[in-house]
Amino acid sequence: MKRFDATRLRKTILDMAYAGSTVHIGCAFSIVELLAVLYRNHLRFDATDARSPSRDYMVLSKGHGVMAQYACLNEIGWLPDDEIARYFGNGTRLKGLADAHVPGVEVTAGSLGHGLSVGVGMALAAKRERTDQTCYALVGDGELNEGAIWEAALFAAQFKLDNLAVIVDVNGFQAMGTTDEVIALGDIEKKFAAFEFDTTTIDGHDESAIDSAYADARSRKNGKPKAIIAKTVKGKGVSFMENDNIWHYTRLNQETYDSAVAELRGEA
Amino acid sequence: MRDAFSNALVAAAQKDPKVLLLTGDHGYALFDPFRKACPDQYMNCGIAEQNMVGVAAGLAKAGFRPVVYGLAAFVPIRVLEQIKIDVCYEQLPVTFIGDGAGVVYAQLGTSHQSTEDIAALRAVPHVSIYSPGDRFELTSCFEQIMESSGPAYLRMGKADLGDVHAGPLANWTNGDLIPVTMSNAPYLFVATGSGVKLAQKVAAAIGDVDIVSVPRIKPFPDESLLRLARGREAIVTFEEHSVYGGLGGAVAETLVGRYVGTFLRIGVPDQFSTLCGNYPFLMESHGLGSADVESRIRKMLRENVEYQ
Repeated sequence: MKRFDATRLRKTILDMAYAGSTVHIGCAFSIVELLAVLYRNHLRFDATDARSPSRDYMVLSKGHGVMAQYACLNEIGWLPDDEIARYFGNGTRLKGLADAHVPGVEVTAGSLGHGLSVGVGMALAAKRERTDQTCYALVGDGELNEGAIWEAALFAAQFKLDNLAVIVDVNGFQAMGTTDEVIALGDIEKKFAAFEFDTTTIDGHDESAIDSAYADARSRKNGKPKAIIAKTVKGKGVSFMENDNIWHYTRLNQETYDSAVAELRGEA
Repeated sequence: MRDAFSNALVAAAQKDPKVLLLTGDHGYALFDPFRKACPDQYMNCGIAEQNMVGVAAGLAKAGFRPVVYGLAAFVPIRVLEQIKIDVCYEQLPVTFIGDGAGVVYAQLGTSHQSTEDIAALRAVPHVSIYSPGDRFELTSCFEQIMESSGPAYLRMGKADLGDVHAGPLANWTNGDLIPVTMSNAPYLFVATGSGVKLAQKVAAAIGDVDIVSVPRIKPFPDESLLRLARGREAIVTFEEHSVYGGLGGAVAETLVGRYVGTFLRIGVPDQFSTLCGNYPFLMESHGLGSADVESRIRKMLRENVEYQ
């Protein structure tokens, strides 16, 4: 069985969303391959200890996509199946936005523009301690509206954090519309390059491209932070969710759940 | 008081290499001794306070002991959400220093003044709040913060008013109110920060007053206050902070239902500093000149007698 298989992760997300009757499916689907490749081939962690001091850091700054991370943490074994099955239930741990009290979740996010700075602090700590830890910080394109993101970007360059890889999930949507309609971001890669990052743009659903980008980001110890601009599709994997922003808000019913699962299984 | 802060900070950093000082491009001259003694533990994070607090949280998660310095108008006010979510929710050992609290930056105006910082932070879980009245209290507060393992806010206000106590505090480890004068008088003045000096001045004019200082506002030492409140005819709080939600609020919350005498809060009323002026001018504009305060207290005491 392939570890962190994207289709299986999407199925877990659908199960969670259906069980908990929750929203934010589209923004979880857009980052599935980005997380799958990271956990499968790059992120160093101790499966027996989510807080191992020598771990790499996976910072989900776009906390709205947290179901995709829960699905990965479930595969590692940090989140048991029954907890996944009771998602959104009263008295459970797994909330609708990233929460640092959950094993494997590094930052409390959802109020956007927070996680990247915390990740920068962890990357800085690794630099000061001369460890070879890498911090991967996944931010949304909508999240780039937040001023604190650019404060963090300036700081990361100033402090030469070449152990920081910022992954930008460019799915082109934010809560109330496309990013172009709300606050146009222009050329995101050029913006990060102007902030003195090493940059690359990839297809955020192409696992081999993602794999190369992560390997390259970790290997280049040149004093510059890295930005991987990942072009993605919001709702990727289920045709009726793709590029339809209502899946930021819509809850599954029996029919849409069955139809989405059938499509993932290749039955549709 | 600022020398005491600098000394305490240098001592802490020399004792523990995990102590890091983060400043938001503030502290000119103040940090010269620190930069000389511990250059590798000093970081100017630029004029970007939100990122600075997030970075401090990340450093703390990885085992460091950040001390985040800014003017109180920015730390904690501008970065309240970062303090709440990035630091307090995880109970990280990050210390926040809010300098120039109150109306210290008098002529610079409202942007650099802070009379709401205690109130804002009191409602955030897990953060301790310290407000020393002189250099001896500051040293004890800082030591207590460094011995704790959670978030803390140290409020530094008007720093050149002189000493309250005769020397270093002995064994102040429980956060209790600290007696300044104590003779079982009918009136009790409860003061924090620069309010202690104001309370002393007013007490000298009114007489029959005991004074206690409150260097730690959260967790508030309820039992210590209730013991001292017993049998008093009147209690007055003093602070260079809004009368809402600061020391006066904390004392009122503790006393309500458990104290029957007269009670008055002296602090900044619900208003900004609208005019330019020096520190004494602004204090007077907020009704915090000693003559004003004295007459308000005398009026309260008179009315109280009449009502009896």
